[in-house]
Amino acid sequence: MNRRHTLPSPSEPACTDELPGWSEGLTRWLIQHAARSAPPALSERLEEEWLADLAERHGAMARLRFGVGCCWATRVIAHEYSAPKVLATISATGNKVMNAYAQQDYSLFSRRTLAFVLIVGVHGVLILVLANGLAHGFVKVIPTGMEFGWVPEVPKNQPPPLPPPPKFSPPQIHIPPTEVPLTFAPEDPGVIQAVIAAPVEQLPPPSAPAHTVNRVLGGPGKAFPNSDDFYPPDAIRNGVTGVATVRACVDDRGRLTAAPTLAQTSGSASLDGSALKLAEAGSGRYRATTEDGRPVPSCYDFRIRFGLIRK
Amino acid sequence: MGKDRNVRMSLQTLKVLEAFLENPTDELSGADVQKRSSLASGTLYPILLRLESAGWFVSRWETIDPSSAGRPRRRLYRLTPTGLTRASEVFASFGRGVPA
Repeated sequence: MNRRHTLPSPSEPACTDELPGWSEGLTRWLIQHAARSAPPALSERLEEEWLADLAERHGAMARLRFGVGCCWATRVIAHEYSAPKVLATISATGNKVMNAYAQQDYSLFSRRTLAFVLIVGVHGVLILVLANGLAHGFVKVIPTGMEFGWVPEVPKNQPPPLPPPPKFSPPQIHIPPTEVPLTFAPEDPGVIQAVIAAPVEQLPPPSAPAHTVNRVLGGPGKAFPNSDDFYPPDAIRNGVTGVATVRACVDDRGRLTAAPTLAQTSGSASLDGSALKLAEAGSGRYRATTEDGRPVPSCYDFRIRFGLIRK
Repeated sequence: MGKDRNVRMSLQTLKVLEAFLENPTDELSGADVQKRSSLASGTLYPILLRLESAGWFVSRWETIDPSSAGRPRRRLYRLTPTGLTRASEVFASFGRGVPA
């Protein structure tokens, strides 16, 4: 029963080919270590059993997990079978191996105590690392040449200073000196008048006032569709009302030259869509903008009201 | 029977029992049970030993010649009549019945 069989299984060479050697060796070492840590009565049995079961596992990670699991299994087995109640039970069976196995206490601590000790240990190591290693490294990073001084306080909520005003240099205007020969006799006032009047040029008559175009902005004409015909049923049901402003570009015959656009929303997407449909349907029924009574193409905004009359 | 003691029923223990109850007369190795129950080795082997010590299972070494078989011998586990009865009762109490 206690013979060791370490023959490789048929599947092992393939696994070994795809695994690094250390992985296979580590797995076997884990299993052997775990089995030897088990109660001596079960040690050889578990090692042989686990190595045989390992041979049926494929894949590096699966085999490694199996090995690690065996380590954990050893701890659980040792803990469970150290309980005194097992002794009585197994003694009655006459199973010598299990009996010997149950007579020993292989666990110094319970799993809970062990977990607590491990957690405390990990925290202690972390604290030591932070206190010595990381803190030491951090102090090294701090530059030694530090300068201290007062930083002038910047008043809050102060607008940024205005840029300096641009400097304008007055243009140099060169005025040629005008030399007017004043050859007159002081006693002859008529000559003085003639000389003074000479450089004065005749100003053109004031121009006629600019012609102001009498522009009358267009809009929906008389036969323009009624907004009630385009009122969305869902908006009627929900009592939604509003006024949408639509921009339309029409030619001199009141026809749309481009698709109407929404200049201002009514607050309802449904009403806005209906307003655009209404504006589209009104093509040819727009009143063109006139300039001095003559129709001209133009673009203008107009409002479409969707309202409900309560009866 | 003295060794028929109460076993703490966990989900993992039920999975192991279910693997054996698929065909109660089968002898299964740990690897076979692991394939059927998808339990990790760290969980499976303590359960197998626990059930064996409780008298629900018996185990023996596979009777093969490792040299001619090209593989090591396996440890085979089998349900005892007591284990079969108790496992059936456990599953019946859970309302799952016993697999044929």
